[in-house]
Amino acid sequence: MSRRQMLRLAAGAAASLALAACGGRQMGPGSAQGTPGASPTQAVVEQPPKEGAITIIATSQMPINTWKTALKEAQERYPDIRLKVTQTSIQGGWSAYADKIITQIAGGEQLDVIMIAIEGLALLSSKRVLRPLDEFIQADSEAYDTLHNDIHKTLREMMQYEGKQMEFPFSWNNMVIYYNTKIFQEEGLKPPSPDWTWNDFLGVCKQVANVRGTAKDRYAYSFWGAGMFGMCAWYFNNDTSPLTDDWQDSNMLDPKVAETLQFLVDLIRKHRVAPNPAGWDENAQFHAGHLVMRTCGRWCIGASLAEKFTSYDLQYQPHKAGPYKTVVGTDGWGIATMSQHPNEAWKAVKVLSGKTASRAMVELGGNIPALRSVAEEPAFREYGPENTEIFYESLDYARTVPSPPNFNIIEPILDRHYSTIWNGQKTVQEAVKLAHQELQAEMDKLKEESRSSRVFAASTTRTCPCQEARVQ
Amino acid sequence: MIRRSQVRARQLDAMGVRKLSLFGVGRARAQEWGSAYVLIAPAIAALAIFLVIPILASFALVFAHYDLLTPPRWAGLENLQQLLGDRRLRTVYWNSLQIVVGATFLNQVLGLLLAMGVNRAMPAFLRYLLRTALFFPVLTTTASLALVWRFILSQDRGVLNYILQQLGLAPLPWLTDPHLALVSVILYDVWKSCGYLMVLYLAGLQGIPDELYEAAKVDGANRLQLVRHITLPLITPTAFFATVISIIGAFQIFDNAFVLTGGGPGDATRTIAMYIYEVAFKRYDMGYASAVALTLFGVLVLLTLLQFRLSRHWVHYD
Repeated sequence: MSRRQMLRLAAGAAASLALAACGGRQMGPGSAQGTPGASPTQAVVEQPPKEGAITIIATSQMPINTWKTALKEAQERYPDIRLKVTQTSIQGGWSAYADKIITQIAGGEQLDVIMIAIEGLALLSSKRVLRPLDEFIQADSEAYDTLHNDIHKTLREMMQYEGKQMEFPFSWNNMVIYYNTKIFQEEGLKPPSPDWTWNDFLGVCKQVANVRGTAKDRYAYSFWGAGMFGMCAWYFNNDTSPLTDDWQDSNMLDPKVAETLQFLVDLIRKHRVAPNPAGWDENAQFHAGHLVMRTCGRWCIGASLAEKFTSYDLQYQPHKAGPYKTVVGTDGWGIATMSQHPNEAWKAVKVLSGKTASRAMVELGGNIPALRSVAEEPAFREYGPENTEIFYESLDYARTVPSPPNFNIIEPILDRHYSTIWNGQKTVQEAVKLAHQELQAEMDKLKEESRSSRVFAASTTRTCPCQEARVQ
Repeated sequence: MIRRSQVRARQLDAMGVRKLSLFGVGRARAQEWGSAYVLIAPAIAALAIFLVIPILASFALVFAHYDLLTPPRWAGLENLQQLLGDRRLRTVYWNSLQIVVGATFLNQVLGLLLAMGVNRAMPAFLRYLLRTALFFPVLTTTASLALVWRFILSQDRGVLNYILQQLGLAPLPWLTDPHLALVSVILYDVWKSCGYLMVLYLAGLQGIPDELYEAAKVDGANRLQLVRHITLPLITPTAFFATVISIIGAFQIFDNAFVLTGGGPGDATRTIAMYIYEVAFKRYDMGYASAVALTLFGVLVLLTLLQFRLSRHWVHYD
């Protein structure tokens, strides 16, 4: 073979490889591709292929095995649909999850059905990523009946945006105190009462903590230190919040906000009963007995069961001022405006938010089910420690976690400033002032954008990747 | 003036292989060029698709509002005006500058010292072992190693603090103190990158003729004088190249800080690349992100030109 022939052969081989790489990815219905970056065997569950069936792709943050039984039900009830559920990582919180969803949509990934919690609901709704479900619910008596008679009004309303039902509620969470019953007994402490105060809590912390800067330290309590949901567990019990009640402005200059943050930072730096939350693995430390109390939702029960850790119980967050409140957040299933098969997507929503899926989630140790009928079943009531009933009974005095459309921007602003408090870089007063400046600037920008988008929407016809968006 | 193609054509004539001519270029020459362009076409296509077009698009987006979900809208100079009032931009540039200075200096010094160390006479297997061990961090992914280092540097249960406590010292907040967190990011980058610079300097050292060292030894030069008067002057071209790429790389640090500290505490370790990512993919403001990226591009171009200018004074090519 001559040199020239060799060069031609090499060029042909290179061109073939390049074309093969280009043709390796298919978009749209029928694609067998999983979530970008995810291993198909770990982050996707789907029905087997069926000729003529319409593929509906749903995504959620929950473990994939939550949906296996629901997929079987979907196959039986709706043989014209092939349902595929992917898992989108919630690493970094709901704001990061919403970012991933939007990036997937902007990148042209097919997403028909989306699960997101209230923290991201306004964001996705304001960007016309989700379509209202009202027309589907009105036309479906079974769904209407479930929504109004088997789901608490608070949960239902949390999934609304500008008066429209954007998602069908699936599960919810609040935050309670998990405490180590064995250590409490060893220290001669009675279980905390439901109306215990911040002073009671501090007294317990001082008694159980044993922090000397060694590897055997025992901390009394660990809090999230970041994240709107975790911090509001404390704010709400001091009758305050980082945002105003209408979620339109910053409330960081409220003296009670500073009071709450000062109480928490004193746990770390003054009383030395809590660690700096940054980088602290409270899950592992709680189960190892190095942490006596933690704040978490129902999803933490599953982790304790996995560790075979049973010497703990639950109690409401300690209270300081105002009416008793528990922070609450709901998630649900919604239909993406980009879906080319909204009717089939609605069928998927019904299955994925139904009793089969709800029971599977409960049995896996997930959130609290939105369906009251499932919450009353033994599987939920008997799952977890003695005081499990406080999860559902707290819904009557729930307060929704602040979730404006720019949640993905304001939560990181708050987190950044919180971290400068916990490590002593800034005082509480300095940090809240700086946080307020940034936060208020973003809320003002949001209000301005809302005004502009209404004017813009009224004056132009927009085209966007969300093909079936309607200018409201 | 005789063109090169004409010279080549005359050569082919003399060889008797010239056939029909097209624009003064022989058919053999055209075939040669054709093969060459076919072979480099995939690389050019990849460069165009993944580099040139995105850069041009980024320049265009500087003048637009674009949130990924709706088409871009004309923004005029708004994004550029926003740069002037952005206090966080000044903070992240200051962070990046500290990382650049610290990481570049330490990488150069350590890279050169390690190269000089492994360039010495030693058993072959030991030389191989040392070079492999020192270069190994370069081969592994930054993010996965950073995850491991995050555990090592964890304040309460990290390996490093455990060792310090065993030595009777107090544990340090490696990733939660604003100053120490920046130092941790720099040291991680040095640990990860110095192996690459070691290889560069090793190549440079091996290009220095042995005769120079022998002649200097004959004249009575000691080890320090050999380094000062022979090694350092003749390694300057390598040092110049290493410095240029180190500075560019250090300004673009993203995954180190993203995984180790997430940019915190506060903005203490947030780099300019992280800030661009935050503006683009968390605020969905591609226009402003492009404007910030443009400033980084400008800074790197200016710094590189400055280095080339200054190199006349300290780089010796002969």
